[in-house]
Amino acid sequence: MKLKPGSRLFAILLSGLLQSPDVAHAGDLVAPDRIGRLDAPKSFSFRVLTVHSNNNAQPKFAARMAALYEKYAHTHPDWRVNIQLMSLQIPQEHARLLEQARSGTAPDCSAVDSFEVPLFIRAGVLQPIDQYFTKEEIDDLFPFIRPIVSDAEGHIYAWWWTTDLRLLYRNMALVPDPPRTWQETKQAAMAAKRAAGPGLEGFLFNGGRNETTTVDFLPQFWAQGGKLVDERGTPVFGQEPNKTYLLNAIAFYRDLIQSGASPARVASISNYDDLTAASISGSAAMMVNGDWAMSQMRAAMKPETFAKWAVSMLPGPTADQRSTASGGWTFASFSKDPVKVKACMDLVREVYMGPATEVLERLPTRQSEFNSLPMFRTDFYLQIKQYLKLGQARPGLPIYTEISNRLQIAISEALAGTRTPEAAVDEAVDQVAKAAARYQ
Amino acid sequence: MTSAVKQGPRHQRSGGGRRGWRFDLDRHPVWWLFPLALLLTAFYLYPVLEVVRTSFTDATLLNSAYSYTLASYRSVLADSALPQIWLATVIFVAGSVIGQTTLGLLIALTLEAGFRRRLPGVRTVQVVVLATWIIPGVASAIIWQLLLSEANFGFFNAMLGLFSLSPVPWLSDAKVAIWSATLANIWRGTALSMILLYAGLKTISPGLYEAAAVDGATALQAFRYITLPRLRPALLINAVIVSVFSLNTFELVMPLTGGGPGRSTEVLALAAYNAVFHDFNLAQGSVLAVLMLLLNLAFTAVYWLTSRGLR
Repeated sequence: MKLKPGSRLFAILLSGLLQSPDVAHAGDLVAPDRIGRLDAPKSFSFRVLTVHSNNNAQPKFAARMAALYEKYAHTHPDWRVNIQLMSLQIPQEHARLLEQARSGTAPDCSAVDSFEVPLFIRAGVLQPIDQYFTKEEIDDLFPFIRPIVSDAEGHIYAWWWTTDLRLLYRNMALVPDPPRTWQETKQAAMAAKRAAGPGLEGFLFNGGRNETTTVDFLPQFWAQGGKLVDERGTPVFGQEPNKTYLLNAIAFYRDLIQSGASPARVASISNYDDLTAASISGSAAMMVNGDWAMSQMRAAMKPETFAKWAVSMLPGPTADQRSTASGGWTFASFSKDPVKVKACMDLVREVYMGPATEVLERLPTRQSEFNSLPMFRTDFYLQIKQYLKLGQARPGLPIYTEISNRLQIAISEALAGTRTPEAAVDEAVDQVAKAAARYQ
Repeated sequence: MTSAVKQGPRHQRSGGGRRGWRFDLDRHPVWWLFPLALLLTAFYLYPVLEVVRTSFTDATLLNSAYSYTLASYRSVLADSALPQIWLATVIFVAGSVIGQTTLGLLIALTLEAGFRRRLPGVRTVQVVVLATWIIPGVASAIIWQLLLSEANFGFFNAMLGLFSLSPVPWLSDAKVAIWSATLANIWRGTALSMILLYAGLKTISPGLYEAAAVDGATALQAFRYITLPRLRPALLINAVIVSVFSLNTFELVMPLTGGGPGRSTEVLALAAYNAVFHDFNLAQGSVLAVLMLLLNLAFTAVYWLTSRGLR
């Protein structure tokens, strides 16, 4: 039988439609844009970072997350979770989220970067979630977490499910002992350069225009006892002794560059991948990097090369003055429907609160998870657990983003030599003071 | 409208329905223009007016309440960073216009000469040059990050090393970084200039060059007295388009330098982005956007006035 042209077109379209992923796999419980059955009676929208979902670019992580989602879908057959992906353009994504929340179009359940949570609490767009977690679970969180996700009354508005930590990575073949002080760090970097010859970079860190620079820098400031804001949330980093602490930390960075311990290019480094790449290529003796770099290095290096790398606490002005910075990701609910808020928190509890940290190899936020999850029972993670107790989060105040932006400019200007450190810090203080009114 | 069509004299003469519609639209062009006007109003004019309105407020993303004020203009104009932002913008835009026009013209002339002589591979060269224009700004920035990287794997410094030359701090030196960003923008935009100028070259009658050759003119004289004067309209529109594109570019600069070191590469478009997305200051971001709009309008006015003069 010969089909008419119109019928042939219809047949082609129909067969194409039947072969499209959603129709062909209607029985599947997990798709790139969905968890649960297509015809489930209830649904909620779920915005998640691509790397924290079944859309992760690395197949092994994507498959593991899909398995977790599938398990969730089996236990919640009535729900279809509509996945929306969030990019790593953090400021842009959160500004969009804030606007959507104001206009009532924010996703029901969404990832929020931990340091942005206070902004959303202040905007009054999040729902309290205390009732979905036990007192024991909340008390089990590392100490730096609760102040960030709580309001003045102590209600929590976001579940901080994974954290991270800045560490000092060193190639033990070049730097056998972990440097504990700024001076020891400079000397170790110089010694490594002398031993390895030209082409080796002694000590690398972020110094460009990005949040990563602030996160790497703040431990140097905190280690001296520095405070960005006071108890009332007023910026005080321009007041003494905080200003001196800031200048000391900038002087440490400048000394590293001027002595050759660090290359001038740190003023243009603004992401951890550049630092990881340098370690993998064998051109760095030491670097500041997140805990996640360890698994990236393990995957990219030969086992004997990887074995030379170790981590330690970031150095401080003295061996007793040490600090480090923790960040991480939370989930919060923007829905006003209690049923959807509960559904969101069920997903968080069953997928992200523990299981996802293990399958994605990300640090958990509860101390007990280091014992209960097999992956975190290694020496490396036990070391990390101890450091996490010393970890500090960035201030839980909306004005922090403004302070961070101005500090990035000041640090970058001081490192590039376009302003003196004093002038750069004064400018940052002035600009934050001018902006403070917006945050009141 | 339908009755007017039916009663129209030309319709009666032609007797066809389709002719009638055309007749009606000929007489009442507003119906032609209405959908486009609606589209332009909804998607272009309204957002522009909204930005202008927001610039006269103290609106932020942090608070839904706002009031009308000139304080945002005062704050932006008094900002000590503004001169540096202007300087970076002028270098970036002027450098891009000069660089893209010069390179675009050279490539267009080469291609034109190649086509005239029927040389092999000319079409390939054209496609290769055009490929740079197809690459999105963010991807271009990543490519240039690798090229300009000051790490051991940086391409340009590795090339300099082959000739025993010292490495250049392409992105970490405030004085060099803005030129590096401009270079990346020139690389990306040269194809556009090449297309515009090549089209301009095609409009020049070959007879003029033949006459010049008969008169004994050298290639340089032919370029000076025939090509350049005849190419003026194309050069002008190229300069305006490149200026507007470069002024609005931030997707290339942001991933490449983030505006740093310090604020050395923070062009106007990036400053507007930072004001809104880092500082959550909608009003100040809008003021910067209005400044960009005024500059774009000025470029367009220059083009309009000059092209009238040329006619």
